[in-house]
Amino acid sequence: MAPTAPTSEARPTLRRSLAIVWRSLRSMRTALILLLLLALASVAGSLLPQIPNSPDRVARYLVDHPLWGDLFWRAGLFDVFGSWWFTLITVLLFVSLVACLLPRSRAAIRAMRQRPVQAREIDSFRHVAELAAPGDAVSAVAAARRVLSRRLYRVEVAPDGAALAADKGALRELGSLVFHWAFVLLLLGVVIGKGFGYTGRATLAEGQTWTDAAVNYDALSLRPGRYASGDHTGVGIRLLSFRSDFRSTGVPMDFVSRVELLDAEGEVAGTEDIRVNHPASFGGLRIFQFGFGWAPVVAVEQAGTSISEGPLVLGQDRAPEGVSQLAMPWRGFLKLPSLRPQIAVELELWPDSDAFFRSLETGQPQPMLRQNAPFMNYTVWSGRLTDPSLRDLDTRSMEEIGSGVIGAGQTVDLEHACLVGGGGAGDETSSACPAGTPTTLTMAFPDLVRYSVLQVTKDVGVPIVLAAAILLLMGLLPALYTSRRKLWVRAEPDRDGVRLQIGGFALQRKPQFEEEFAKVVAAIADATGSSDASAREMVEAR
Amino acid sequence: MTHAELAVWSKDLFNVALFAYLAAMVASFAYLAFRAKPLAWASTGLGVAGLLANVASIVTRGMAAGRTPWGNMYEYSAILAALVVVAYLVAVEWRAHLRTLGGFVYAFVVFTMAMAVQFFYVGPTDLLPALNSYWRQIHVTSMIAASSLLGIGCVFTILYLVKDRGERRRVAAMQAQEPPPILGAAVDADTPPDLLPEAGEPDPQPAPGGRRGPLPSAATLDRLAYRFIAFGFPIWTFGTICGAIWAQEAWGRYWGWDPKETWAFITWVIFAGYLHARATVGWKGRRAAVIALVGFVSLFVTYYAVNLWISGLHSYA
Repeated sequence: MAPTAPTSEARPTLRRSLAIVWRSLRSMRTALILLLLLALASVAGSLLPQIPNSPDRVARYLVDHPLWGDLFWRAGLFDVFGSWWFTLITVLLFVSLVACLLPRSRAAIRAMRQRPVQAREIDSFRHVAELAAPGDAVSAVAAARRVLSRRLYRVEVAPDGAALAADKGALRELGSLVFHWAFVLLLLGVVIGKGFGYTGRATLAEGQTWTDAAVNYDALSLRPGRYASGDHTGVGIRLLSFRSDFRSTGVPMDFVSRVELLDAEGEVAGTEDIRVNHPASFGGLRIFQFGFGWAPVVAVEQAGTSISEGPLVLGQDRAPEGVSQLAMPWRGFLKLPSLRPQIAVELELWPDSDAFFRSLETGQPQPMLRQNAPFMNYTVWSGRLTDPSLRDLDTRSMEEIGSGVIGAGQTVDLEHACLVGGGGAGDETSSACPAGTPTTLTMAFPDLVRYSVLQVTKDVGVPIVLAAAILLLMGLLPALYTSRRKLWVRAEPDRDGVRLQIGGFALQRKPQFEEEFAKVVAAIADATGSSDASAREMVEAR
Repeated sequence: MTHAELAVWSKDLFNVALFAYLAAMVASFAYLAFRAKPLAWASTGLGVAGLLANVASIVTRGMAAGRTPWGNMYEYSAILAALVVVAYLVAVEWRAHLRTLGGFVYAFVVFTMAMAVQFFYVGPTDLLPALNSYWRQIHVTSMIAASSLLGIGCVFTILYLVKDRGERRRVAAMQAQEPPPILGAAVDADTPPDLLPEAGEPDPQPAPGGRRGPLPSAATLDRLAYRFIAFGFPIWTFGTICGAIWAQEAWGRYWGWDPKETWAFITWVIFAGYLHARATVGWKGRRAAVIALVGFVSLFVTYYAVNLWISGLHSYA
């Protein structure tokens, strides 16, 4: 078009530009390109560490590659699936999808209402056959109609009864539409579920009770959805016991949390075993087995009054390359902010002292699979506490005042780092307090229990997503495997009988239709009483 | 027999299968070159023998471990190999009467099995608790089945691209009134020019005389490739959905963009792109085939690279 002489119709108005954008969004090409872009973005998301999955690896990457790290950070490549451009591609893809689906659905509904249309010329179709049959045209066509109906063709007989049109395979387009609409439903389910739900982790030691409230989740583990109201269900979970089974080789076999479920009023609603692959459902929540560990019960007393008592959740050191994670000790900090000066006790737990000594003898770290005369190395720090974390201690404003070993059932004096009577396990590394030592601050280690980490999730979108997935599959199969086929039959009086003309074609799976057409012709020949000798078939591939 | 003996048997049978497939590959390529019927029979016989050893190896492995033998990459590879060979023997040799393509399929199988022995071999052991779910059987079976079908589809896509290039060249050469270039052993420069690409959809089985060169026509290869991919794609979809259901049970979320999940999704998206491209003007044929090849690469990354190099929840190899 000459740019110097724009006609009034060609002037780009807003309306026309929008129409162009809409049209190009509707094209398959756009959808294809968007699909491939989505794949490309996902590739980036799988090659670089992602914040939601492994924040520690992202941090390490940023330190190791400052230049690239900064660039990738700005581009949102460390949270691809949460980035604005991933959302943009997804949204465009769905807009394109819906823009394509609306007119297609309308056309499909129209096509389904429409009856098959009679053909003018039958011998111009790809497959044609002729039969000579006795009787009159109307009865021959009626016989052909029965044959085709039995084969699930949609049949329309002409007003004069001497011709018919038939088709089959509307399921192909219907399946394709169901498949594609299912994605809209899927997106809806994901947005509703993730948007209005929440997920987080709860840590509780044996005997403890946990209540679903925002403050009770492990630090930083609670992820509320974008539209979540912030209300929680208030239901409770009490951990009765935790059991882990290992083979002697250290291969885990089973992790089971036996829990009591409490409704919002605190009434016991039931007991349940939560294990890997067997979550519990309760009060709109799904509760999954996530992790476990050891929690020594520690009691601190100052001049006879208890200032801290209960199980202390310990974390595990990361195993170096080639060492079983089960051989690593457990570590945590007991913080006593009410004392002046403030006191912190670092605890290093070895749950199986047998395995510990065998490790020393053999030089090979031994896995600790069960509790067996557990002991803890402890270090006492005095000074000012700067953060409440149980997994970390900032020692810059503190000084070490002593260290020692405490076995299960023993009590130690924290200020002098010596044993105050107790169990007397005969551990030569621990030293008993000399007689006459004034003990004011003591720590007892009466028991060692397990703790369990449960993942608690509320996702109301799951049934929608599941329904979408089922629809998607149900649509996909006919969309790929059925084919649209059209057939026509016309009967004309011929000497003492009728001449039947049969024609047809398939829009998909054409080689298979050749066989089917031959079978249909044979069946019509049978039904109309055509002798085999009079059947003249001219199936040809054009 | 003790479990240890069974494990040794399984390993030996695996090696027998590997070498039988290797011999079948050699025989099939030899048939492609010399067109002597006994070579084709030898190839089929060796393929069937390899398949029997392969299946026996899987069964003894299951007995040795006391569970269904699909718990790690070594076991997946054994099953993948068996399924590829079954699909090839049934769909291509038996149903479609094509015997020239075996070498390429066996090459794929031998590669898969050699990778398994080289990188993934572990003794039959117990499963991690997270893998102990009946969804595992459904998810893993369908993922392996889909991988084998998509894998064969992509072998044929490569052959299609090669053949299509040859056909185009020959057409171009003939249009230039020059003798056709000689491609492969069976090409005879004096045969009449019956090689123009067939219009529309070709016959299901082109007459042997109508073929030129050792391979079936490009259109036949394209259709075979499409059949296998269109068969594999819904199974891949189904397997991925089962994986999501299992993830919901085991990890509390149906989708978490774990590397294996992400790559399964990428592969799915690319093959979805392939199916759409075939129905799009301007993308049919070679362009769609190239998308299928990209899908093949993605399938390989999903199957191998995620386990070897990218750490995530699926790193069980």
